[in-house]
Amino acid sequence: MARYGMVIDLKRCYGCYACSMACKVANHTPPNVFWSRVLKGESGTFPNVVRQALPVLCFHCEDPGCVKVCPTKATYANDDGVVVIDKEVCVGCKYCMMGCPYGARYTVPEWKSYFPEGLPLSELEQFQKEAWEEKSGCGVATKCDFCTERREDGKEPSCVTACPADARIFGDLDNPDSEASQRIKRDRGFVLKPEQGTKPKVYYLPPR
Amino acid sequence: MIAAKERNGKEDVWIPTCCGQCYCMCGIRVRRQNGVVTEVEGNPEAPTGRGKICVKGLAGPQLLYDPYRVNYPLKRTNPKKGIGVDPKWERISWDEALDIIIKKLKKCQEVDPRGVYFQATTTQASEIRFGVIGFMKAFGTPNYWVSGGGLHCGNGAHFMNGIMHVSWSIIPDFAHCNLPLNFGCSKGHGAGHVAVQNATQAADARARGSRTITFDPFQSAQAAKAHEWQPIRVGTDGAMALGLVNSLLNEHGIWDDEYIKYKTNGPYLIRPSDGRYMRDKETNKPLVWDLVDGCQKIHSDPSVTRVEYEDEAHDVAIQGRYTVDGVECTPAFELLKEHVKKYTPQYVEEITWVPAASVSRIAKEIGQAAEIGATVTIQTEKGPKKIPKRPIAAHYFRGSQGHVNSGWTCLSIDMVNHIVGAADTWGGAMGLGATVCGGYEGTGKPYQIPYADDDGLLVAKAWVYDHLPYPMRVPKPPTRLDLHDMFPTSIYNAFTITSPRWFEMLDRFKIPYRPDIMINFGSNSVMTMGHAETVTENFLKKFNFIFSFQLYITEFEEAVADIVLPDTCYLERYTPAVSFPSTFSHPQGEDDWGWTIRQPVIEPLYERRDFNVVMLDICKRLGISDKYYKGLNDTIIMRYGGAMDDKYKLCEDGSREHEWPEVTDRLLKDRFGEEHGLDHVSEKAVFTWPKRKEDVYWKWFNPARVPLYFEYFIDSGEQIAKLCDEFDAKEFFDFDWSRFKALADWYPCPSHTEPDPEYDMYTFYWRAVMHCNSLTQQNPWLDECSQEDPYVYAIQMHADTAQKKGIKQGEKVWLENSHGHRVRGWVALTEGIEPRHLAVAAVAGHWGEYMPIAKGKGTFFNDLVEMDKEHTDPLTLNQDICCRVKIYKA
Repeated sequence: MARYGMVIDLKRCYGCYACSMACKVANHTPPNVFWSRVLKGESGTFPNVVRQALPVLCFHCEDPGCVKVCPTKATYANDDGVVVIDKEVCVGCKYCMMGCPYGARYTVPEWKSYFPEGLPLSELEQFQKEAWEEKSGCGVATKCDFCTERREDGKEPSCVTACPADARIFGDLDNPDSEASQRIKRDRGFVLKPEQGTKPKVYYLPPR
Repeated sequence: MIAAKERNGKEDVWIPTCCGQCYCMCGIRVRRQNGVVTEVEGNPEAPTGRGKICVKGLAGPQLLYDPYRVNYPLKRTNPKKGIGVDPKWERISWDEALDIIIKKLKKCQEVDPRGVYFQATTTQASEIRFGVIGFMKAFGTPNYWVSGGGLHCGNGAHFMNGIMHVSWSIIPDFAHCNLPLNFGCSKGHGAGHVAVQNATQAADARARGSRTITFDPFQSAQAAKAHEWQPIRVGTDGAMALGLVNSLLNEHGIWDDEYIKYKTNGPYLIRPSDGRYMRDKETNKPLVWDLVDGCQKIHSDPSVTRVEYEDEAHDVAIQGRYTVDGVECTPAFELLKEHVKKYTPQYVEEITWVPAASVSRIAKEIGQAAEIGATVTIQTEKGPKKIPKRPIAAHYFRGSQGHVNSGWTCLSIDMVNHIVGAADTWGGAMGLGATVCGGYEGTGKPYQIPYADDDGLLVAKAWVYDHLPYPMRVPKPPTRLDLHDMFPTSIYNAFTITSPRWFEMLDRFKIPYRPDIMINFGSNSVMTMGHAETVTENFLKKFNFIFSFQLYITEFEEAVADIVLPDTCYLERYTPAVSFPSTFSHPQGEDDWGWTIRQPVIEPLYERRDFNVVMLDICKRLGISDKYYKGLNDTIIMRYGGAMDDKYKLCEDGSREHEWPEVTDRLLKDRFGEEHGLDHVSEKAVFTWPKRKEDVYWKWFNPARVPLYFEYFIDSGEQIAKLCDEFDAKEFFDFDWSRFKALADWYPCPSHTEPDPEYDMYTFYWRAVMHCNSLTQQNPWLDECSQEDPYVYAIQMHADTAQKKGIKQGEKVWLENSHGHRVRGWVALTEGIEPRHLAVAAVAGHWGEYMPIAKGKGTFFNDLVEMDKEHTDPLTLNQDICCRVKIYKA
């Protein structure tokens, strides 16, 4: 069985948000929810200063804090290592949002349109609403699932496909020959907040 | 055409077409589920993107379904016009709208058809080639502009790149370039031309280990990704580049001797009396000095020319003094070398605020990285050929070109490439909007191989140009409303048409007609040009009648439109050719050529009608459709690379009509053969064929030279000044005509010479990756993304400067220029900006009621942009887009 993970090459990424948008469109997330985000930071003082973009998503940890704290076992890891949420079992207690050290989980109390109130929903928004409620839903925890539906269609997660900088590699971390495994090994791959001990499966390659 | 597929009993299909969220026009595939367009992906078949697509393209479905789109024709019932006036729209039928329009156009046609002025958006550059150009030719008007899309970004850049590269822009050969130098542009970083493909290529280059140096007043995406950021003072890139040229030539003694001698006019002998070429008495061709035979030769004499790198030729002089016909002449290169000596590192530091030591060091680095003398062997149709390898490229765009020194700045930056021979060869600065193409092997079309004129210089007669940068047009007494005919070195200008004395100018030049009808296709020129009140009152309100094809009711329609026609967006229409000839969307590097088409992924919603369909309808009603088709046939020959086969020509005798799918089919068959019509191409929405290596790296396969010495500018300046005198029009055009000269210089912007110390901050705008022109601001997904970014809606200000002025993070402020024009926004504090600058993003700060997502977000920078002669580049008439302001709390 594969153990899916992702590598994000920060040398290639230039912070364009294509990943955020691709995720939004593929997973029908409502306003204020990007499962795949780009954080922007700055370090140093002028003129020795540099801005850095840091794309983040659910890290599909091997020892996920969210799973540990979930009282209903709605959150669990699939055999392929992808951490998912059973929305029928989730009671919306938000413990998992506290349990995730990476802030990768989102919940919306009710579905909202992007447009001012009082307008009939556009066909697109109607589709988005139905698709969101079918896959994820309101009042329950939601997050990146490495694009389950796309993978079923033989595609890679939407953030990987769209990335104009080709900065993302999706693959099987159990396979030492996969590009993802190779790049982590060869290019000094690292994870965020390793001290949390959750063993993320999303790795970064250094920006310089 | 596209077979419908089903999933769970519901339609689920991906349709290939072409994006239209910006002018890059990357290939996309669009998902339609049960009749609803839900998703966009890159089209793996299209060389522009190869399956990748940017944030704007991904957000396309929201443009299709936005409830604020205009869906029905509207008529203004309030006769009053202006910013803030309620137009009191009334919904009318298409028949009524077209009846009104035809009546007005017919009257204008009788009086003087030149009273029609076409204004179009650059976002839909491919549609312009049909509906706009075809109509103008048929109706008989020369008046046209693309508002901010032209004057902010291209008068200097496109002009100079035409002269130096037969192209629209330049870009590093990312696949092989080891040292890209980025002067104020986002090429390779998500915006700009062929954005997605270039972003992939630039990322590949970083991964390969290429080193980037970026000159930018703030930490733009390209500065953040660079290995070295030089926070340069805004508007001084030209001085920086001339400093590099001086340092290369006079400090380090580095130049590419072979390139200068055989690929530029560097060896042309210049006579001292008037700075003109010394010419051969018999042929009138410029002369060079043959060092082997010790005598003058005409520049094209086979003994002193090298077309291919391995050709042999006599050595020619580029330094020294040589006597021809009793006149002591100097090679142009020597004059250039002397001329740039004043740009010492110290002087450049004073202007640019880049340390003198850095100027000198970077020049040395360029000289070393260029590997002058190195070659590679490429496979051409005629077998393996050796060409120079020059892996450095200085490139630039809006940020550095949008100033009163636009033309010379562009040339100065590009000159760095030409000094070290890094132009249109392996690893160097390449023409973007590639114009060298031997054509598809089956038909030889589209065909475009540049050639040299009698003076030996590269003729910019390519499919990209309406404005023919070289050979220079001779200025003529103007007939156009913007007096364009008399300014051969410019593409567009605004200082004439937005002047309060516009009609006086027309009187003075004896232009017998006045603006009557404006047809607008997608532009929001109230916001995209400059100070909104000036544009509206001085220019737009001078038209008696304005009708507008538009997706939204923008600030333009609110202020001045009489009729609004609901256009389809790019997902609802056919466009026969998108990547050709649009110049922004040719695949760069060695990947295949691609001819992209746009095809509808859904029938037009509501009462939206395609701009091109309606323009055809209008022509039919005016009885000029035969001329319209002829106009298209003529355009196709010029702009799409070669003559048309008679059997595919559109009917010119009025005996039959054509619809757009048929036009698409004919054009495809004519270019690529009977078997490659619409049926064939619609499966992938792109027709591809391999690029010849000698078309990619064309420099050493073509006999043409490029100028380092712009001898002919002297003539142009004199001719324009003379015309002004003839019409006694000096008071309107008291430009510094001495800027029309042969060698590049740097001149300050008004922002650099602002005398009042109260206006102590420099401000400029930058291109955010999620926006293009002004329209994308209304897309709710792109708006949401903009809010994710710390700076897209903010005014960036250095933390120390803010502290000194008592301004805090998030505080609302005014920026006010010395003309009393001011804009509002909020401040984001940062270390990533030169402390005397303020940076604003995009065409933001909308106020229109019918774009509620865009309304009130960001800062309307353009309201600070003055549109007068003082803010216009005398050489190219480009507008200056940097300002000096004071900042205070709102």
